[in-house]
Amino acid sequence: MTEAKKEKFIVPIGPQHPALKEPGNFEFTVDGEIVTDAAVRLGFVHRGIEKACENRNYTQDLYLLERVCGICSHVHATAFVLGVEKLAGVQAPPRAEAIRVLAAELERIHSHLLWFGVAAHEAGFDTLFMYTWRDREVVMDILETLSGSRVHYSVNILGGVKIDVDQKLSDLIKKDMDFLEERTEYYMKVVTTDDTFLGRTRGIGTLSKDRAKLLGAVGPTARASGVKRDIRVNAPYSGYKEFPVKMVIDQTGDLEARFVVRLKELYESYRLIREILEKIQPGEITTRIKRKIPEGEVISRVEAPRGELFYYIKSNGTEMPDRVKVRTPSLCNWGTITDVAVGHKLADMPMLLAGIDPCFSCNDRMVEIRSDSQPSQMMNWDGLRKYGIEYYR
Amino acid sequence: MNLSLHPLILLLIFPGGLFLMNIGLLYEWADRKLVARFQSRVGPRWFQPFADTIKLLAKEEIIPNGVHKIMFLALPIIALTGALTAAQYIPMFGFEASFSFEGDLIVVLYMLSMMTLSIGLAGANTLSRFTIIGATRALTQMFSYEAPFLLALLSPAIAAGTWNIGKINTFTGENIWLILAQPIGFIVAVVGLMGKLELPPFDAPEAETEIVAGALTEYSGRGLALFHIGKNVELVIGLTLVVIFYLGGIANPIEFILKSAGLFLVVTALQSMFARLRIDQTVGLWWRLGALMGLLQLLAIIFGRYLGEILR
Repeated sequence: MTEAKKEKFIVPIGPQHPALKEPGNFEFTVDGEIVTDAAVRLGFVHRGIEKACENRNYTQDLYLLERVCGICSHVHATAFVLGVEKLAGVQAPPRAEAIRVLAAELERIHSHLLWFGVAAHEAGFDTLFMYTWRDREVVMDILETLSGSRVHYSVNILGGVKIDVDQKLSDLIKKDMDFLEERTEYYMKVVTTDDTFLGRTRGIGTLSKDRAKLLGAVGPTARASGVKRDIRVNAPYSGYKEFPVKMVIDQTGDLEARFVVRLKELYESYRLIREILEKIQPGEITTRIKRKIPEGEVISRVEAPRGELFYYIKSNGTEMPDRVKVRTPSLCNWGTITDVAVGHKLADMPMLLAGIDPCFSCNDRMVEIRSDSQPSQMMNWDGLRKYGIEYYR
Repeated sequence: MNLSLHPLILLLIFPGGLFLMNIGLLYEWADRKLVARFQSRVGPRWFQPFADTIKLLAKEEIIPNGVHKIMFLALPIIALTGALTAAQYIPMFGFEASFSFEGDLIVVLYMLSMMTLSIGLAGANTLSRFTIIGATRALTQMFSYEAPFLLALLSPAIAAGTWNIGKINTFTGENIWLILAQPIGFIVAVVGLMGKLELPPFDAPEAETEIVAGALTEYSGRGLALFHIGKNVELVIGLTLVVIFYLGGIANPIEFILKSAGLFLVVTALQSMFARLRIDQTVGLWWRLGALMGLLQLLAIIFGRYLGEILR
């Protein structure tokens, strides 16, 4: 018995687990129901996209980078396009910039509604999950009508956009925005008044402003803790210069605040989309851009639904980039989970995980661990293959 | 309505045994379909639970390493037996109970608890971390809902002055519906039933987003199917009990169908209205609120009866 007492009781969540539909491994050491330690292990879906970018030209990279994330594909393309345009010294026409923002905000709506449903499901509130996903279909339909695709809309091209909005479409979108706004009012009411739901969110996973800053939290997670961090406001890019947004801030930092912040951001998105559709100026939607991008390096930051998305692009003067570095928002937020998990109940863990709106496939990295005893080693393809065969023998 | 059949038929085919199991599966379908419609989904077709059960029964039963084999195999059977035995003392489908004696209410309540006990033991029997947490939660939940549920069923019994379910049925059929006389007891009984059956929002013991399938994670094939059937039979019995005690009893099959369907609608609506409660919230709810309410109801009944005696 004394032996058993010393042993840690670790509950693994993932890489295959009903709570997480994406592969990530979390180990929670529990004492009864109370979590005493938490660890994150990532890297199950590393795809080597950054490296693959170096073997393709800029136009091909655009399509590849859209597939980094299945939910926020547009912001990835936007970040890349803005960076490349800056390198090439090209400015997309104002109408194109506005359409980029329009697509980005539609994407934010669909991403936040998706997250809202998933988070409700983690709380065991399946009715809310089904309702939000039903309403999310509305915005998915808009995106399909707009671009012809529900997920990878491919709105951007280098030097502009490839879709346009006409009056008929604009009326349709406005009507749907009214519907979604009404639904969001209802969800806001549920989130802030439903007792069972509040029992799972209020005061759970509170992240103080200082900790959020220290751990480098981004996006709604940071904003729910009172950190003023929103690239759309801090460093307006693309059409956000013309159509500014209001930053949504909450001071509490618990799960409820994260729900409230995201729902309030939806209101802001509805408002912005209406404004764009009202004020959009007729004009060109593309400009010409050369295939070869001049030598140089650039940093491009945009606000994805989950937070700050960071691109570093280095060009060597050819058709292909020398280096593309992506830092996705989920990667910045993992630290907050292990920080706040300790002391909470095991039942709160799925909610806490969902609270940062994690996206696994876009943040997986190859990690090289350097130890003093073993020198770091380079492997060629054949060596790696042999190592793999030996390892699993 | 009296039913004079051979005792073996009563036990094995109708109203116990086979018929009850099938009705249980039908209830499961109704439950899933109604919840699905409340959630604006389509829901399964009527034969889905039957197909699932037949498939599971035909499948290989995997016995994991490190379990007590006999216990692993026996627990699903014990759970199902408990539920089926309980049904024998209840006037099912509007027919008189197959067997009855003074005090069978207590036996039925114990028989119904066999299911939770078996699930708890089944979870503790396997080495998986999910099952152990599931088992702890299942047993914790049992200790929280059992007392209030018992109190809620006891007050009608005291009002009727008998602990025989058949006689209580006659009593409630002749008097005003007890849901009007004892509304608190009705609420406690319905919510207690949901806790007993681990229906949402009291499904912490099998919360899929935390501990996969809880205590039954390691079960597959026949064992899982038997647990499922047992749970469905418990659903039928539980609903029937509440109908008998609070909704004016059951005199004939039509009354049975109408009243249980009405109660079923309430239960499914409750299932889709709330977020899952954490296990500590469940315990808190029951002991701080449920037990007190049940006790209050019971005291009111006893006082009322005492007053009645004096006035007479």
